[in-house]
Amino acid sequence: MGALAPYAGAVWATMKRDALIFVSYRLRIFSQVMAMLFSLLIFYYVGKLVPPGAIGPHGQYFAFAVVGIVTTAVLTSALGSAQVVRMELMQGNFERILISPLGPVWGVIAVAAFPIAYSTLFAGVMLAVASLAFGVPLLTGGIVPALGVGILGAACLAAIGLLFVAALIAFKSSLGASWVIAALSLIGGAYFPLRLFPGWIRWASDVQPYTPTVDLLRHLLIGTRPAEPVWLELVKLVGFAAVLMPLSVSVLALAVTVSRRRGTIMEF
Amino acid sequence: MSGSGSISTHQTESPPLAAERASALVSFDGIWRYWGRGKNRWAVLRGIDLDVPAGTVTGIGGRNGAGKTTLLRIATAILAPDAGTVTVDGLRSDDSWREYHQRVGFLSAGDRGLYNRFSVRGHLEYAARIAFVPRARRPTAIEEALVRFGLTELTGRRADRLSQGQRQRLRLALTVVHDPKVLLLDEPRNSLDDEGLEMLSRAIDDVLARQGAVIWCSPAGEQQPVGFDRTYVIEEGTLRPA
Repeated sequence: MGALAPYAGAVWATMKRDALIFVSYRLRIFSQVMAMLFSLLIFYYVGKLVPPGAIGPHGQYFAFAVVGIVTTAVLTSALGSAQVVRMELMQGNFERILISPLGPVWGVIAVAAFPIAYSTLFAGVMLAVASLAFGVPLLTGGIVPALGVGILGAACLAAIGLLFVAALIAFKSSLGASWVIAALSLIGGAYFPLRLFPGWIRWASDVQPYTPTVDLLRHLLIGTRPAEPVWLELVKLVGFAAVLMPLSVSVLALAVTVSRRRGTIMEF
Repeated sequence: MSGSGSISTHQTESPPLAAERASALVSFDGIWRYWGRGKNRWAVLRGIDLDVPAGTVTGIGGRNGAGKTTLLRIATAILAPDAGTVTVDGLRSDDSWREYHQRVGFLSAGDRGLYNRFSVRGHLEYAARIAFVPRARRPTAIEEALVRFGLTELTGRRADRLSQGQRQRLRLALTVVHDPKVLLLDEPRNSLDDEGLEMLSRAIDDVLARQGAVIWCSPAGEQQPVGFDRTYVIEEGTLRPA
């Protein structure tokens, strides 16, 4: 644990750096809050068009959609890691991280950490606003376990984000992140219940971590019935984390090695 | 041939040269590096051997595109050589990345590597953290770097509000904040005035006083503000005494 302390300290320092730079753009937070409010308003009124019980006997569409929206926000941030690293490369700042004892793999994790942590925090704020201002009936007893599920889900999605960073470092392209975000939120059931999809595509809902994350969050926060037993959803999520996190780090390390050999690691 | 910078390292070495190699703080051993692919592939470095003893400043010159920056980037492990190895204090970066890079400070050419909306002190605190400077040592290291490069009046100023010379002084401060044993400087004069050059010279003296070593790369013909113990030039991929 002691050996990891300097790495954790450096990741924390990178998050602090990014937070300070983020708040230096004073209108950015205001702009994001406004976007959040309008997004909630849109789904609030769409929800009024959806008949009660359309998404199942235990919930209303607006609450269902809000949990989908906040999970998708974390997904978008996680898969946007490649763009954050690309910006560092373009500005010539990534070099200092590359040549530090922190190294490239930890460096990428450090650079990706703030956007993912921020979007997770912002998701919590959005849920609170949805509850307080729009009357989404959040189950207070589910908030703490939902926090655990949220962190686990964010870790899984961050691991997918690292795979995109690896692609960026190896091939100088991370094209595909935007359609993967759209596809995952669609087949994961961000905005619609999975039972609406044809049977032949439902397998896609089971082979990625977005579905169990959003399903468990909905169950814990608004009381919807999960598609599978809770324990099975949890096992799936832990399994995805156990596979994806070491896999993504290994792939990233391989991408770094390849691009050091090619001499392209500083290119973008 | 170690120490002389020629390319015949793999021949039998005379005893003094072998002894020098053993005492070298930085060793480049048979470094080859190609750029390009297929028919457009060319060797920018052709079996470079160089030993840099502790307590010395080594100057490396050469025309634009000669391979000076490539050599330094290989020493920082940003680039992997196609053949050969670099050791710093007996360490290879592939075997011990953390320890290797705690010993190395690298200043790249140009003026990049700063966060526009981040303060001077913020940069130094961040650089100290990612260089794993121990918590107890950190405040002193940062203060020393600020003083050494005349940045104490600018600690709260954002990087995008610094002059070019001030930016270069900050970049130098970031390079030495963790007290590296080996300084790799790529065209460090960039925008420095006489006062800045004097600060750089004193920082180099500090490294040498710790039995460290400095490699200074600059274009051929550039006047140097510090005395070199050895000077080489890269020509057609090989290193020759200047």
